[in-house]
Amino acid sequence: MDTNIVEVINVTREVAWLPWAVQYFFLIGLSVGGVLLSLPGYAFAREEWRATGRVALLVALTCGLAAPVALLSDLHQPGRFWHFYVVFRPTSWMWWGSLIIPFYVAGLLVYAWTCLREELREHGAVDSRLAPLYRLAAAGGGRNDALIRAAGLVALAGAAAVVLYTGAEVAVVRARPLWNTPFLPVQFALTALAGAAGLVLILNRFAGADRAVEVRVNRVLAATLAAVMAVGGLWLALGLSGIEPTHAEALGSVVGSEAWRVTAVWAVAATAVPFAIALARPSGTGLLTGLIAVHSAWMFRWTVFIGGQSVPKTGAGFYEYALPAGPDGLLGIAGTAGLWLFLLLVITAIVPTPRRPASGPVRAAPAAGRAVAAAE
Amino acid sequence: MDRSRRNFCLGAGAAAVGAAALAAPPADAAAARKGGDPANRWAMVVDVRKCVGCQACTVACIMENAVPANSFRTIVSTYEVTEGGRAGTAMLPRLCNHCEDAPCLPVCPTGATFQRRDGIVVVDNTVCVGCGYCVQACPYDARFINHETRTADKCTFCVHRVDAGLLPACVETCVGGARIFGDLNDPGSTVSRLVRTQAPKVLKPGQGTDPRVFYIGLDPNLEGKVEGTPTLWRPSARPHAHAPAAKEHA
Ligand code: SF4
Ligand code: SF4
Repeated sequence: MDTNIVEVINVTREVAWLPWAVQYFFLIGLSVGGVLLSLPGYAFAREEWRATGRVALLVALTCGLAAPVALLSDLHQPGRFWHFYVVFRPTSWMWWGSLIIPFYVAGLLVYAWTCLREELREHGAVDSRLAPLYRLAAAGGGRNDALIRAAGLVALAGAAAVVLYTGAEVAVVRARPLWNTPFLPVQFALTALAGAAGLVLILNRFAGADRAVEVRVNRVLAATLAAVMAVGGLWLALGLSGIEPTHAEALGSVVGSEAWRVTAVWAVAATAVPFAIALARPSGTGLLTGLIAVHSAWMFRWTVFIGGQSVPKTGAGFYEYALPAGPDGLLGIAGTAGLWLFLLLVITAIVPTPRRPASGPVRAAPAAGRAVAAAE
Repeated sequence: MDRSRRNFCLGAGAAAVGAAALAAPPADAAAARKGGDPANRWAMVVDVRKCVGCQACTVACIMENAVPANSFRTIVSTYEVTEGGRAGTAMLPRLCNHCEDAPCLPVCPTGATFQRRDGIVVVDNTVCVGCGYCVQACPYDARFINHETRTADKCTFCVHRVDAGLLPACVETCVGGARIFGDLNDPGSTVSRLVRTQAPKVLKPGQGTDPRVFYIGLDPNLEGKVEGTPTLWRPSARPHAHAPAAKEHA
């Protein structure tokens, strides 16, 4: 029978996970991607990856340090964060996250220190007033590949735990069909890697524009985006075929919406375009592909979180979302971006990106490289 | 509701015969319960045929529980349903279902959300960090972040009144007699009898949450996420462009 329903009165639920959460998942994902991209050059001492690893390390550090701040801000009672640490709640992925984040960030800091130690020592050898501080920070050592590898593996374990928990935390929410899919953790991981590659390309552009790094990372980006498209295509195919009821339901909840269709086209374009460019012209296009890739990784999270929460669980149609100007909206996004930039400036001021670190052993690089800062 | 009030006196200590048809909670979930009297299992039956959509319950709840502006622990969703050329208005009072297997419980990273041994699901807002995970996990949009307490909030079956031997405010105020509250552990209670004899429905049974708010006369079209034209008027939403278009479908 032909049934027509008009909803006359119902409640609108506001988003409970604010744009802060988008920022958190974006930054922590990029940080994890940065760790992955830094591993070949540092933990596995592949010299041809070293220069890439140096920029990737910067991505991992800046994003990894800014991310927990965004997460804390997403709590409506941030001052109570210690409540996580006085209970045992193994059924909650978020509780596991509260243990994993400090483990990851601590591991990342130690790993970064082992990687940057030789640079610290070089700065300590220069005749300057800060030299003693650098010598102190280097703790009397230089490059130690065994130590870097050990720390790198710990950082990798932390990164894997972050990927697992951030993915599972969202994917287990059965009440939201769009989230409740085993594809989501994979999509988070792949888009994070693509975003990290994108940020490496951007930073590389401002820190000497190393062509070798650009070509290498553009290739990584192309491969990652290919995987992103494959997984996305599989998700869509499963949804359209109706074989998998969860995916069909997820697709069904948004397919009728014009706004969601526009978003889908946008997402495909933001993946396919940098893929094509990075594949066809890996040299000289890094800034462009990088910017699109970072944008695409962010958009994916915005769509999943803010878009996902605009799908009512019981009511008809969609909840409306208007980005507030204050801390719960635009100011939060701008604030996190500002914090990231601040961290970038501080870190590159302390350990400036070496100008030409790619060729030859880095330990031989002249200390004069210190004069060039990455983002200046 | 007189009969519901009487159930309160009979409720305590009664055997769990009436609830025989209802599934027991998972063992670990039951073990985690605290507070409340395990002799009771509070539940609500909503006879939607009797609801006139006056929203007296909505207002009573707001007054009783100091619910901030633009937030709701309960609301009577109202739909215009046209079927086979005949139009009618359907009312659907919504509230927390105090699910037997509540998905909002395991996700809470602090234990602020918990279930009492009488089945009532509550939030300790002195513990809650306002992470909003439970808001995501509830399949019924029953939860929200209270802007004044900055913690998770939802219907508590008016637990403070129930503990004092009173009915929830919405039940007390319901002019149509549509909301009936009582103890499922008491086979003689009205809710037990209605659940036994009327084969009431629950919302989104496919979610496996085992709700303890039952509906008599529920239109199957309204059981899950409602497929229809979005609301003409929504509290807290800005006036929007679809409204005039929506009206044409009615
Ligand atoms: S209706 Fe939602 S908030 Fe209430 S018990 Fe069930 S899952 Fe929890
Ligand atoms: S918002 Fe509060 S009650 Fe809900 S999951 Fe977070 S800590 Fe628990």
